[in-house]
Amino acid sequence: MATRDEIETLLAACTLGDKRAFGALYSATSAKLFGICLRVLDNRAEAEEVLHDVYVKIWHNAGRYQANGLSPMTWLITIARNAAVDRLRKRRAPAVSMEQAEARPDPGPGPEAQAVAASEAERLSACFDELDEGHAQAVRGAYLDGETYADLAARFEVPLNTMRTWLRRSLLKLKECLSR
Amino acid sequence: MSGELPERDADKALAGEYALGLLSAEAAADFEARLVNEPDLRALYAEWCEDLAALTDRIDPVAPPPRLQGEVEAALFGKPRGRAGWIGALLGGLAVAALVLGLIFGADLLPRGPQAPADPAYVAEVAAEDGSLVVAAAYDAEAGALFVDRRAGAAREGRALELWLIAGENAPVSLGVLPGEAQAALDIPAELRAQLDGGVLAISDEPSGGSPTGAPTGDVLAVGPITNT
Repeated sequence: MATRDEIETLLAACTLGDKRAFGALYSATSAKLFGICLRVLDNRAEAEEVLHDVYVKIWHNAGRYQANGLSPMTWLITIARNAAVDRLRKRRAPAVSMEQAEARPDPGPGPEAQAVAASEAERLSACFDELDEGHAQAVRGAYLDGETYADLAARFEVPLNTMRTWLRRSLLKLKECLSR
Repeated sequence: MSGELPERDADKALAGEYALGLLSAEAAADFEARLVNEPDLRALYAEWCEDLAALTDRIDPVAPPPRLQGEVEAALFGKPRGRAGWIGALLGGLAVAALVLGLIFGADLLPRGPQAPADPAYVAEVAAEDGSLVVAAAYDAEAGALFVDRRAGAAREGRALELWLIAGENAPVSLGVLPGEAQAALDIPAELRAQLDGGVLAISDEPSGGSPTGAPTGDVLAVGPITNT
């Protein structure tokens, strides 16, 4: 895996139309992003199509990266995850999720970038452990399986509003733990 | 709902819901409108992106199929580019003239010997940049054979010309040594046939009898992309 600085340099070169840099960026990051697409979609053909679109999007939007305050891998991961989830929801319920897919843009500008530490996953995992098991599953399900409030309410057999209250409280707990 | 939480907390939760894609289209549009003018909200959203992205840390990377990169670049830049390793530079420098489409082998020009397929699935012109070696190739899908026609150039004294298939970023695979005759039919092993689509053919200079290592050892003399008819 290339370093943060290397990926940033490649993205910057892409904004200048450097096709070689794009090839290098693809080589350095496509396995990670393809793994994510496969995990979300659990379907190789769809994951390939989504990955294709993701890299087209990355090339066209590389200029937006510099301003958005995310670490470069997070920016790439977010684009891939959102694209895969949009595709998954399109598969599940065509009409509704099309709107959502188009309504959601790439990450906008943000604060000073934060490096994703190597221990990030452990920190996150420890904080998930502090949540009720069901609530942790709900947050994971929303992120990695693209589950909507309606999906989650059905899975946990609670009214939709209750589900939303649970999940919002879980998010705050998670945030509180992560900022400790 | 937001009434239950202090405003800052409500926004924290809202940014998380947005990052997870849980908001309705309408609520998401409202959130985006606020993002434009509220740096604090942008910061909250960016934090969530960082935190949630860590959920992917345990997902193992999986190499996408090699052809995908070529497809993406073709979609973006209009033509395939960037084959791996030793072939990259040569292919990049290939004149457009080398990309001959729909190469036709007139049967009447071939009274004897191997016959060019009447309806080849793939064709290629494997050519040196300076035209010193030109080999036309046409693949007969039914026979699983690649018909080759060496139209210019020949092996050097005591040396051989070896034909290679490069599929995506895979290492070159030998398709065999070109025989002394200008025209020949090479059997393509069943497991390689699917890789012809979108692949590249190359010819290298090798010791008599072919590369001793299974990989090209001499100069790459000619290359040409395989074209789907």
